[in-house]
Parts: sequence; C-alpha cells; structure tokens
Amino acid sequence: MTGTLRLLLAVALNSFLESVRSRFFTMFAVFAFTAVYASVLAGVMAVDQEARLLTDFGLLLTELTALAYLLFGASTALLKEAETKTIYLVFSRPVPRWAYLAGKICGSLLTAALMLAAMAVIHLSVLAFRGFGLPPGYAWVLAGTFLKLAVIVSFAYFVSLFSTSAVSTLVISSIMWTLGHFASEARFLAEKAEGFKGALLGFFLHLIPNLQLFNARDAAGAAGALPASVLLPAAGWTLASYLGGLWLLSRKEF
Amino acid sequence: MKGRAAILAGALLCWAAASYSAASYRSPFPAPSELRAPAGGAGGDMLALALGARRVFADLWFVRLMQYYGTREVKEVSQAPGHEGHVHGVDEHGHHHCDHGKDYGKGSYPLFLPMARHILDMDPQFTAAGLYGAACLAFNMERGEEAEELLRHGLRYSPKEWKYLSVLAAVGYSKAENPAAVAETIAPLLKEPDCPVMLKQLAAFLNKKAGNYAAAAAIYADIAATSRDEFYVKNARRELEKFSGGGYTGGQ
Repeated sequence: MTGTLRLLLAVALNSFLESVRSRFFTMFAVFAFTAVYASVLAGVMAVDQEARLLTDFGLLLTELTALAYLLFGASTALLKEAETKTIYLVFSRPVPRWAYLAGKICGSLLTAALMLAAMAVIHLSVLAFRGFGLPPGYAWVLAGTFLKLAVIVSFAYFVSLFSTSAVSTLVISSIMWTLGHFASEARFLAEKAEGFKGALLGFFLHLIPNLQLFNARDAAGAAGALPASVLLPAAGWTLASYLGGLWLLSRKEF
Repeated sequence: MKGRAAILAGALLCWAAASYSAASYRSPFPAPSELRAPAGGAGGDMLALALGARRVFADLWFVRLMQYYGTREVKEVSQAPGHEGHVHGVDEHGHHHCDHGKDYGKGSYPLFLPMARHILDMDPQFTAAGLYGAACLAFNMERGEEAEELLRHGLRYSPKEWKYLSVLAAVGYSKAENPAAVAETIAPLLKEPDCPVMLKQLAAFLNKKAGNYAAAAAIYADIAATSRDEFYVKNARRELEKFSGGGYTGGQ
C-alpha cells in the first residue's frame, strides 16, 4: 500500500512540476499586470469604495485565472500523454490506474493551491501599496475558491476521458462551472414550477454541483466564513468525478 | 467486470450524497425574480450570476451610479480660484455672494432610485451604497420619499442594519425641517468605516449651521484625513482653514 501511495505521490509531483514549468509564470505576470492596472482604474472610479472594489476584482481575477489555467491543464493532460505515448510507458510499469488518475488530480490541486497562494500575495501587495490592509474573510474566500476548483478540475478530468478533444472538455467544464453558480437560482425556478416540469427540473438540479455553496467571495467579510458542512458536498462531487473518470479509464485499452 | 460496476455505483452514490447534503442550502441573495435591471443591465446581471460575482457587479453598478450622478444636470461654472464648480449669486446691490454650490448635486436624475435599488438587489450587504443613495436622494435632491423607499428596500434584506435605521430617522427629521436632529441622528454613523463621505459632509454642514463649530471642524478634519474623494478633501481643507483663521462667521 505504501508503495502504491509513493507511486501516487510521484505522479502528483510530476503533474505539479509539469504545470509549474509550462505557462505558469506567464499567467502570474498577466494577473499581476491586470491587478495593478485595475487598481489604478479603481482608484479613479470608486473613490471611497476603492478598497472594496480592489478586493472584489482581485479575488474574481484570482479565481478566473486559476480556473482558466487549471481547466486547460486538466483538459489537455491525459490527451497529451496519450498522444506522446507517455501513458503507455506509465501503464507498462506497475502503476495502478486509480493511483495514476488520483495523482493527476492531486497534482492539479497542488498547482491550484500554489496559484491561489501566489496570486493572493500579489493581490495583497497591491492592496498594501494602495494603503489597505487584509480584507475580512480573505482566507475563507481562498478556501472556497479552492473547493470550487477541486470540484470542477476533477470533473474536467472525468470529461476529458470521454470527450473527443481538449476544446470540448473545456467547453463542457466551463458550462458546468456556470451552471454550478446558477444552481440556487435554478432551484428557485424549480420550486416555482409545478407538476412534472418542476419534478424534472428538480431532478436535473441534482446533476449539477451547487458551486454557490463555496462562493464566500460573494458574501465577503465575517458572513463569508464557510461552515464545515460544505466539505461533505465538495468531497462528494470531487470523489464522484474521480470514480467516474476511473470507471472510464478502466474501460480503455492501453 | 464487477469491480467496474462497483466503481460506477460508487461514483453515482458519491454524487447523490453530495447533492443531497447540498439540497438544504438556500441562497442568501434576493431571488432572480426580484432583480429589476435598469438601463439595459440584464445582460450584466446574467453574467454576474453565471460567474458567481454579484459583489463585483454591485461594485460596477455603484461606479455607474456615481458616474450618472456625477454628470451634472444643473450646470454651475465659475472661474474664481477655489470656487470652481459653483456660481456666485448677485444681490440687488450688485454684490457677489458665494453660495458654495447650493445647487451641487441637485437635479432630477430619474434613474437614480432604480440604479441604487439594483445595487442592493445584487448585493444586499453593500450598506455603503444604500446609505449613499438614500443620503443623496434625501438631502441633495430633496426626495425624501424615494430615500425612505430605498432604505426600506435595504432593510428588507438586512432588517437589523442600524445604519439604515439611523438614516431613515434622519430623513424623517429632514422632512420636519429639523437640521439639528438630523445631525444628531447621523452622528453615530460617522465613526463607521463604510460611512459615505457625503453623509460626513452633510453632518459637518449641519453642525456648522447649528453653531457647533468644534463638532463641524472635527468632522472636516476626519474627511480631510480619510477621504479619497478630492472634491470633499479640498472642501474640508478650505473649511478647516476658515476655522483655524478664526474668520468663521457661520453660514459661509
């Protein structure tokens, strides 16, 4: 068991380093530039609400930058390894498929954690430069963003195992991310709808992860503290996507 | 074969458990049916919901509101240094009197209330926007009813927000033409970090009018030290100079 765990860690570390070595730092540069530019604009436009605007924009930018990079990575990782035949080499060794897929997802999550931490440092530096301190509930927002990313990245790995191209994986995952934020509004509509329509809408709602659960960014401040109960759905959806991906991977011939 | 079926069953079970555990979650935000987007903002609202970015879009609406209100309907132009932005009245003897922007912020601004309401629809916790909107409506535009409507709208989502209640009371006193009571009512608000600077300015003005020069000077000093709005900072410094020069005769 420890041997397999070591393999999982090796795959995770390899996947993480691969992410870091690629376009990683360009993304940071883009983020830093956008954050600084937004801070100048915000200063002019928001006047007395500059701190709030800077915080909100920075947090949204952090999330979108990490999401774009991680979705791109998750959509291309397995396809690239299949194209370069690396996956055949991996599976010709005693690497179980569950450890391979878990390692890939863990590598992406490590990348997510590093990206969030680095971008938070840039963001807080911009805030400090403009004379503002640490916004309340900042750590909760980052934690919520990480949980969202965990759910959607594992889902992207699942999709990449049956979709025909990286673009379709990106599109499907992005749609799921969008629908996930609409889940509360969709629930409201389902509750308003009556009879068969309402029941059908209610059923489809269960197929969409409610990402608003983790959206501490929209309820910043003390109200944004995430309850421990959100860990269960986050773990459930991540694990479900992983198991779904593993089921697809086990059906493939390598 | 059995192993694969077990994996698939596990995946479905995990998804169902996650969905079930999240089913009791109810959004703290107003329902989408309550969103009334003014000035063709429905597309932006869709994007806000899709990105889970209600707060950011509320910020953008607030900037739009300030830009809208910043576009003057009543034009006042003066070339005199230190008196830009407002006219000087001329009395029957031909003497010029500085009225210090008595028409500043005045105008009809028909979209002001819907825009301010919309900010609170997007982010009910954006108290500063609610206070700013209500104060502008009540004290600049003299539309007390609309200010009360906005404050009551804010109170629907934040019923325990004492800041709204304070301004609501101040609007009542304002309608009863009791400026001293207005100043007293909004005084506790001034210490709050999210107190709009225009409310501070109003409090300083009312204190000055009531002869409470020490209180007025303290508020002007606070504006000069903390505000990032150049207009208010310049005005506060000018007032402080008058106080320190001892040439304050009140009302000017």
